Amino acid sequence: MLALTENTSPNRQLAKFFIIAFAGVAALMLTLHYAGRTLSGGSSDVSAVDEAANSISILLRDEPPQLDSSRATDAISGMVLGHVMEGLVRMGLDSRLEGAVAKDWEVTPTKATFWLRDNAKWNDGEPVTAADFIFAWQTALKPETASEYAFLLFAIKNAEAVNKGALPASALGVSASDPYTLVIELERPVPFFDKMLVFPTFYPIREDFYEATNGRFGADADQLLYNGPFQISRWVHGSSMTFERNPHFWNQDEIHLDTIHVPYITSDGTASLNFFKDGRIASTGLQAENLTEAMRMGWQIRQHRDGTVFFLEFNHRPGRLTDNLNLRRAVQAALDMEEMVYKVTKLPGYEPGVSLFPGWLMGVSAPLREEHPPQKVVPNLAAAKDHLAAAMQELNLSEPPQLVLLAGDNPISNIQSEWVQQSLKAKLGIDVKIDKQIFKQRLAKMTSGDFDLVLAGWGPDYNDPLTFGDLFASWNKNNRGRYNSPALDALIEIAQTRLEPAVRMRAFGDIQQHLIENAVLLPMYERGVTYVVDPRIRQLKRRVIGPDPDVSRAYIDTSGE
Amino acid sequence: MSATDLTSDHFQRLQSGAVVAQTARPSLSYWADAWRRLRGNPRAMVSMSLIVFLLAFVSIGPSLWRVDPAAQDLDQIGIGPGADRRVTLAEPFQQWQPSIQDIALADNPLGFTLAMPANTQAVRLIWSEQLAQQQQQPRYRLYRNLFAPSDTGSFGLPLAVVDRSWFEDRLDLQPGTYYYTLVALDADGAATANAVTQTVDVIRVISIAEARQRGLLDAEETAELGQSLELAWHPLGTDYLGRDMLARLMYGGQVSLFIGIFAPLAFVLLGVIYGSVSGFLGGVTDQAMMRFADFVVALPFLLFMILFKVIFGIGPGESGIWPMLVAMIILLWPAPARLVRGQILQIREEGYVSASRLLGGTTSYVVGRHMLPNTLGVILVTMTFQVPSAIFTEAFLSFIGMGVAPPTPSWGAMCNEGIKSMLTRPHELLFPAMLISVTVLAFNLLGDGLRDALDARMRGSE
Repeated sequence: MLALTENTSPNRQLAKFFIIAFAGVAALMLTLHYAGRTLSGGSSDVSAVDEAANSISILLRDEPPQLDSSRATDAISGMVLGHVMEGLVRMGLDSRLEGAVAKDWEVTPTKATFWLRDNAKWNDGEPVTAADFIFAWQTALKPETASEYAFLLFAIKNAEAVNKGALPASALGVSASDPYTLVIELERPVPFFDKMLVFPTFYPIREDFYEATNGRFGADADQLLYNGPFQISRWVHGSSMTFERNPHFWNQDEIHLDTIHVPYITSDGTASLNFFKDGRIASTGLQAENLTEAMRMGWQIRQHRDGTVFFLEFNHRPGRLTDNLNLRRAVQAALDMEEMVYKVTKLPGYEPGVSLFPGWLMGVSAPLREEHPPQKVVPNLAAAKDHLAAAMQELNLSEPPQLVLLAGDNPISNIQSEWVQQSLKAKLGIDVKIDKQIFKQRLAKMTSGDFDLVLAGWGPDYNDPLTFGDLFASWNKNNRGRYNSPALDALIEIAQTRLEPAVRMRAFGDIQQHLIENAVLLPMYERGVTYVVDPRIRQLKRRVIGPDPDVSRAYIDTSGE
Repeated sequence: MSATDLTSDHFQRLQSGAVVAQTARPSLSYWADAWRRLRGNPRAMVSMSLIVFLLAFVSIGPSLWRVDPAAQDLDQIGIGPGADRRVTLAEPFQQWQPSIQDIALADNPLGFTLAMPANTQAVRLIWSEQLAQQQQQPRYRLYRNLFAPSDTGSFGLPLAVVDRSWFEDRLDLQPGTYYYTLVALDADGAATANAVTQTVDVIRVISIAEARQRGLLDAEETAELGQSLELAWHPLGTDYLGRDMLARLMYGGQVSLFIGIFAPLAFVLLGVIYGSVSGFLGGVTDQAMMRFADFVVALPFLLFMILFKVIFGIGPGESGIWPMLVAMIILLWPAPARLVRGQILQIREEGYVSASRLLGGTTSYVVGRHMLPNTLGVILVTMTFQVPSAIFTEAFLSFIGMGVAPPTPSWGAMCNEGIKSMLTRPHELLFPAMLISVTVLAFNLLGDGLRDALDARMRGSE
């Protein structure tokens, strides 16, 4: 008995220590939690839907690098700018083009005229005039702005010369016959010119405000002038944003919400799902791992094809192994994209890739791919091996080559690149090294040509097949593999310059055939987005072109259904 | 003092080999004594056998379990241990275009049915156009659910919007029960109340050609459709790409244990030499050497790891194990060096060292006989404690993508992948995490036991 009591006393002491330590840590955590909440202004307290305050909360994957519309390139900037700015035209809730700052317009082969509404105002109450658009476009084209999307404006007369510095910005072919009439002279006929104007590069910028920011335009909430339905009232870099209704916006009837909170900025899918479950954000995307849980919770799962096409792009620079047609054909015949989409990626809404042109693009009267069906590539192991043997002979190789696959560093592209690696190893004996890089680094390596294969994607900039069709033109800077074929260039010229829809669509059909026959790229899939939305929110719009998601016209359904 | 009157008679030669005194127990060498005490420590012994088992697991294991750790079994992605492997032989998959007979099938009260038996290749559904809300441009949305639809208005996964009266679902079909719901859409694409649900039982199938290709059937063996086979066995399940977990754990352990054992061995040895030289010489040399060690401590590990990767010319997609090893050896030796120096400084002043010197012991004798054995306990213990920390470092570096390159596995990299599907497929995280924990715990407990066993002052005690 004595031994027993002696043994328990240190144990009791240990237990006491443990309890004290536990209580201490718990107290510390609670203190820090409350301190954190007080310091951060309580932004983490907002709920997904606040009916009393007429506000909702959403999540951003990333912070916009800056919000100067003339320099914006990424989807996040596009999404934020789409809520706080308005261009001449916009995509309506029915996905049709509608007037925004412009109340009416007319496009002819030589010029485009836009009549602006006189009640469109900046958030300081000044009217939005034609001069604001002229200034924005001249700014975007100035060589010192170095806008990556300046090429979108090249349809305007002299734009390319201004961008190269050969002509002063004032030589740009845009003029205002009066403050509310904007006349644009076109360099060449562009049948879809008005559709291009939904892109942020075409948003207005007011000159006096731009100059007053001393080069910090768009860097902070107060360094930007807003003419859209909302204005940014608070922007805590790297952590949160708040949009508030713009009282000077002309079309108040369409806007229902008073505030949109962005309490979290994170690309972590699990965190996002947990925020949704806790009722802190109104919408979240779903990964393949979360689908079962979403079904169990009985959520109304929605799906949206975001218009982006993903493909394996080859490096066509001379001297590269992948410049060899037979090698490319071998890879083309070996990879079964249906297997990848249905068994590896496993997300609903993903469509196995058959063409560079996604299925939603319209042709003359029906979808382009129905008018010009792409040739189906059937995986064929025997053919792949034949092509590989031929390639090895042409390249003087005694054994299958080693290739470097450049890929993004995210879960989906990790799985896909490992699938490509193992498929090529098992079927053809080709060793593939995976070069995982973050987005910026991947882009730099794509531009410098430091890869054999790259997992790349392309989203549309405007609603015309040309946004995909000219991707592999020898002059396109986004042709990262530097594919160079006079035959393809000639087809792209037709699609760019001819006005007859039937001729253009046939050209796109021929481009599609050329890309498949020469295995210029291997379409992998068209991306779908699976997501859930708080059932009280209506009119949350997912788009292919324009800000996505768009909650600018959303409202809270208070019927309690 | 009188002159000595000792004569040779006073002295007697001892007989050699004569027993002077009897020792009760055989004399114990230092090592034998340490071993005896270690053996008496059950925790240390269990840990040691665990370590031996782990070493055998990663070295002999792969030759017993001959499965390619990179091979992808896309029919069994993310399955847990002991999953059902039964599969039925069926016709190979072919594109489907409904025939007149298929369309006639839809002529039933529900108007929504399977065109042919459902299997994992495809679920083919067909329905009557009577279900459409508007006859001109019929459009439907099809949902799939794993749970019986409730009245919450949730039908599960939206699969597609179709404008014809049939649909083929091929997305990630697993054996089991699915609930398909067809909702007719109105002219604006909004859902209407017109919804029908059909329960579908999916069986797993494989074509004969595929079965032969995977070695489930011998080339000569005859097989007929409908025959039941078993898919490849994965005792610990598979990961997110259908790769065998057991094989990956074995190969992954090679990397983890290689780093975990070689790196500490190398840098502790380096540290011991550096520390004992510094401590033994003392004075200005000691000061200079220790300030240099302080300098090395301040160098950032991750930065050097990246630098070595560049210096070694390790390209993208290649393993970063060697630069990791070099970075660990070059940057981590100061900790054991300081420890050993402290010990040597202390022992240098001990009485028995002075005695040994006075009795004419040379430097090498003093170091070899007295100093090293007395620091050995500290050295061995440091090393066993460094092993888990090295394994953790490897796990961490592979976790952030600086370690092994795919498809080579390592326990850390496997945890990194497994954590993404922790809630749905816990085994992908659990197994590598368990192995890391067991290894680390075993080395820690063994280190604990060794410290007790090797302490020279505890000689002879239980």
